[in-house]
Amino acid sequence: MKILLVEDNERVSQFVIKGLQEAGHTTDHAANGRDGMFLGASEPYDVIVMDRMLPGDIDGLAIIEVLRKAGKRTPILILSALSDVDDRIRGLRSGGDDYLTKPFAFGELLARLDALHRRAHGVNHELPLAVGDLHMDPMTRKVSRGDRQITLQPREFKLLEYLMRHADQVVTRTMLLENVWDYHFDPQTNVVDVHISKLRQKIDAEFERPLLRTVRNAGYMVTAG
Amino acid sequence: MTSMVRSSAVTLALGYVALGLVALVLFAAPLWYAWQGTIREGRAEILQADAQRLSDVYRREGIEGLRNFIDARIRMQIAGDRILLLTDASGHPLAGNLDAWPSVPTAPGDYRVQFDLRDKGGMQAVLVHVASLGKFNLLVGRDNRLFAPLEKRFWYGLTGAIAVLFIAGLLIGVITRRALMSRVDSIRQTVSAIIHGDLKHRLPTHLSDDELNTLSRTINGMLDQIEQLVHGVRNVSNSIAHDLRTPLAELRSRLEELALIRPPPEQTFGEIDGAVADVDQVIRIFDALLRLAEIDAGLRRSGFVAVDAADLAATAVEFYAPAAELKGIALTFRAEGPTAAAGDPVLLAQALSNLIDNALKFTPNDGRIDVSVQSRSGGSVDISVADNGPGIDDAEKAKVVERFYRGDASRGTPGVGLGLSLAQAVAKLHGSTLELSDLNPGLRVLLTIPADSAPPAQPASDVPAPSSPALPGIAATSP
Repeated sequence: MKILLVEDNERVSQFVIKGLQEAGHTTDHAANGRDGMFLGASEPYDVIVMDRMLPGDIDGLAIIEVLRKAGKRTPILILSALSDVDDRIRGLRSGGDDYLTKPFAFGELLARLDALHRRAHGVNHELPLAVGDLHMDPMTRKVSRGDRQITLQPREFKLLEYLMRHADQVVTRTMLLENVWDYHFDPQTNVVDVHISKLRQKIDAEFERPLLRTVRNAGYMVTAG
Repeated sequence: MTSMVRSSAVTLALGYVALGLVALVLFAAPLWYAWQGTIREGRAEILQADAQRLSDVYRREGIEGLRNFIDARIRMQIAGDRILLLTDASGHPLAGNLDAWPSVPTAPGDYRVQFDLRDKGGMQAVLVHVASLGKFNLLVGRDNRLFAPLEKRFWYGLTGAIAVLFIAGLLIGVITRRALMSRVDSIRQTVSAIIHGDLKHRLPTHLSDDELNTLSRTINGMLDQIEQLVHGVRNVSNSIAHDLRTPLAELRSRLEELALIRPPPEQTFGEIDGAVADVDQVIRIFDALLRLAEIDAGLRRSGFVAVDAADLAATAVEFYAPAAELKGIALTFRAEGPTAAAGDPVLLAQALSNLIDNALKFTPNDGRIDVSVQSRSGGSVDISVADNGPGIDDAEKAKVVERFYRGDASRGTPGVGLGLSLAQAVAKLHGSTLELSDLNPGLRVLLTIPADSAPPAQPASDVPAPSSPALPGIAATSP
């Protein structure tokens, strides 16, 4: 992925750039709003990471609005120290696609950037999904692995669907909470892990190769690889 | 005295007195005018009739007859309030009780004139009628003194009324001022005690519903809120000292130890993971505090939309079901009646999740937790979370909703001690409080939210499917 990072804090920038590099992405960095706006408008990026509060007179949301008005459809993730729900809504209204509060775990950022990138490439909600020998048909809501039918509760189905739509990507607990349960808060317990292990019981328990993996310090991934 | 004049009560009283005077004058003036008019006209008629009678005598008996008639009349007169004068053309008096023609024209008509009447004491206003009898002039008048006492009484009455009005007004003003000042004074004293830091004071209130009382009650409500906030802040700063410092101290010693000992890489990475976990714990506390502050400030009220309490509770129950299953706890859910309500879905979900999480923590293995949603007769919706755990002592009930409070029972359990206070703050934002009651054994926590009175601006259940290109997951909160 080619990523633009607009962030004025040097330490955070270095940390993000290095991490993205290790994950195999190339990153351009703009340390102020003007450079960020210029790069964002002129270069083709897969994803833009935009700090909300920037030095000088242009703030992150204003840049996003300008880019959107100029017809740029690049997915944008907003980084912000403002954590209020209202701030979040404002950020997303301005044209951002996702919102991450500082301080954040790098794994969370990476997972969200992957999800944004994939989403930008269009998702057909009706096409059957497959990871290895695990199959899911969102239309008939049938799930099978190999030649065995798997019965899932509605929420388990939603959980697995989200994981399969992001196959080969790390999905964090926060992403699952937000997208599967619509929970925009931290329940402060390991309940998500319990759900995952229940799901694992159903799709992995009696098979040789586990598909649902735990990624240490980050989250989960469904992968056949 | 200046303070007396400046006092709003006295100013008001003076204003009323002035208004009363104006009203009195406006009332008396037309009365006076009508009265005077009536008397004058009535008298003029009498005088004309008199003059008519005298001219009849003149016509019948000639000038001599009239002279005799007038003389006889004057002799007969007792009260002497009649004035009669008959003169010839040159103005020489022929008969009557006046020595000379007064300063009125000799042309016929009604005139008003000042007379110095003999033996009647001083000048008197007299109404006279002048008639012309051939070459003689006749003047008929009547002393006004008959009406003087009446007039005097009128003026006395008016003056008395003004005086009474003035004195009563001032008196009432002073009394009102005194009553008001004593209450204002007590308010002032209370407020200054509060300014000096003692938030326990409250303004005196009575049962009545007057303006000052209503104001006092409103101010007391404000003081309650302020006291609670101040208390909360005090509590929080104490608790932050403890709850934030603990992981920070741990983090610090961990890092310092790493720098000092420089253990082998494997152990170093383990320590770094531990350090990150410490930081995460600090961030978690921080986020919880920020969220609480956000709720306390009441800013989230703008996020109220139509929500289905049963849906929220069902989701929370379903979310915690696997965790309950692990502990062998029976987690049940029941909804009765209409459960549509108005509220903040994000915060309600969080409060509910905290309540269930809390119940799960304290309910022993193989216990049970019942979550139920019920509509109340008043239209509000009750969400209740009941467990059969150890319950909470009455003494502790008020404390558990305090920030960072952790009962003895919760020592050693995970959490930052903000779960119930957040639920409490959310309840408060929705205009109710968290009710804790004993089930013996067990605890029942009741969260009441107002029914959805306003028509739903936008259905809250319209949650986008995961990974849909809509705003990720916050559709439920957008107004």
